[in-house]
Amino acid sequence: MLSGGLFHLAKPQVEQVQGACTMTSGLSDLLADSAFGRLAEFLLSSVPGMPPILQTLHLLSICAIMASAVFVSLRILGLAVPSQQVSEMVQRLQPWTWYGVAGAFVSGVWFVLARPERYFDNPVFQIKFTLLFFAILFSVMLYRSGPGEPAARQIPTKQHVSARLLAGGVLLLWIAVLLAGRWIAYAEYLFW
Amino acid sequence: MNDFWLQLESHPLAAEIGATAWFPLMESLHVLCICVLLGAIVMVDLRVLGLAALRYPVQDLVRELVPWAAGAFVFANVTGLAMFITRASAHVQNPAFQTKMGLLLLAGMNIALFHFRALPAMLPSVNGGASPKLARCTAGLSLLLWCAIMLAGRWVGHVV
Repeated sequence: MLSGGLFHLAKPQVEQVQGACTMTSGLSDLLADSAFGRLAEFLLSSVPGMPPILQTLHLLSICAIMASAVFVSLRILGLAVPSQQVSEMVQRLQPWTWYGVAGAFVSGVWFVLARPERYFDNPVFQIKFTLLFFAILFSVMLYRSGPGEPAARQIPTKQHVSARLLAGGVLLLWIAVLLAGRWIAYAEYLFW
Repeated sequence: MNDFWLQLESHPLAAEIGATAWFPLMESLHVLCICVLLGAIVMVDLRVLGLAALRYPVQDLVRELVPWAAGAFVFANVTGLAMFITRASAHVQNPAFQTKMGLLLLAGMNIALFHFRALPAMLPSVNGGASPKLARCTAGLSLLLWCAIMLAGRWVGHVV
């Protein structure tokens, strides 16, 4: 069981991550054998339609993130919803970003619990979570910075420039997280 | 008719997409489009239902958000078609795919009802007030239909 987790990654460059791999294999086995792991496995394999239903809830959660963090960023960049005020948007839409993150976690965690080795040993999954960490961090920074209205045609101030940079980062990071999520199933095209 | 789908499948372009990283690229962009599409349209629907963004007139949200949804829809069609041709004959027989197409047709009719009947009947000056019944019905239906389309679309991949 443990060696299976190690050997399907057999390739020269793997040597340096072998230590980490043994650790995740141990964690994978622990999770898969836990009560949650077995429940997840049962739900996904025995309840008809469970996988697409959970995946749809995952996607709807991502829609909430798109409609909040991404549209706020587009607004700051001057690309969308010009009639809305940035400060008002932040106040109104911020909770939706966190509902989205929470919803995506609750709907997505079952897939990881049911087959941890499929995710922990997958470089695309690792990339997704690294991107996710920064997407959340940048979103918190953007919301906390209390971005003002974008400078319309005047010379932008230092604050405007930093708000724009942050907004661009938030926008690209959430898009990258979404794309990476879908590529988890296709890691073999990128690695191995 | 089945010959047509088989021919489509055997087109070099279909074979190229199906056998390479083009497929996941198209699929991931399809998902991005759909999330932008639903993100934008759900904001409009919730406003029409009187549940969110009440300080903005419905017309403003429609004017500024529907183009995003429409653009995402067009791009979702391009990426969706790219995936469809790789397994056209199987997809046309896939009940999830058939359901999705049927629901899309209903969503189109619902959109027409909203834009040509419900929206023109709404007063532009009404801020924060409740929308007329027809507008609220089409908005509620829009929410249900898009969620169902998403579920059916996601289900397509689970029917093999």
